[in-house]
Amino acid sequence: MRTAILTIFALGGLALVVVALLSRRENTGPDDGARIPSLGELAAFVMSYEVGRVPIGRVAVLGFWWWLGWHFLAR
Amino acid sequence: MPQSPQASAEEVRVWDRPLVMLPTFALIAAVGGLFDSFTLTANLLVLSIGGTLFWLGLSGRITRRPAPRRLGPGAAWWLVPVLLLTLTELYSFAHASRPEYPTISLLADPVLEHYLPRAAAYFGWLTGFWALVRR
Repeated sequence: MRTAILTIFALGGLALVVVALLSRRENTGPDDGARIPSLGELAAFVMSYEVGRVPIGRVAVLGFWWWLGWHFLAR
Repeated sequence: MPQSPQASAEEVRVWDRPLVMLPTFALIAAVGGLFDSFTLTANLLVLSIGGTLFWLGLSGRITRRPAPRRLGPGAAWWLVPVLLLTLTELYSFAHASRPEYPTISLLADPVLEHYLPRAAAYFGWLTGFWALVRR
């Protein structure tokens, strides 16, 4: 089971790199909906989500990144 | 009253640039790499630096890049790595994260015990945080 899980993690990491590289292709036009947005654009879109005046998306993404650092580097 | 990112752009221009921020992050990472996990110093560093960046990200004191109003169907490709990693992580976590069911953090721990990978992880975390703050 360990080998299977490690293989899937490796495939996930590889997929992350491939999608990130594909997202760096030049946009062919303003209506190029098939273009893959960059991870930054994706994060910005999620972070722009608000409920009323509360920036839920921003709190969630920044909070997740803060927790990630604490989880790997401090806990 | 919170300032808008556009209104405060002039004030932060001096330090809000890679030439200033990257060496600062490198210095913090070089120090942070010295602190082992589960220590008070490591917790204080991550909580204070993370708290500062979190506050900067919410306060609107940093000039932000405009966010796209909508995403095309191409964005769905990001679901492939995200679902692969998340579902596998949850599956392993549900099995109590034993050695035969490793989670990402269980795999990362032996690597992050060494200074250089740990300092590099600090640097990556800080630059990633800064990139998010500016979005």
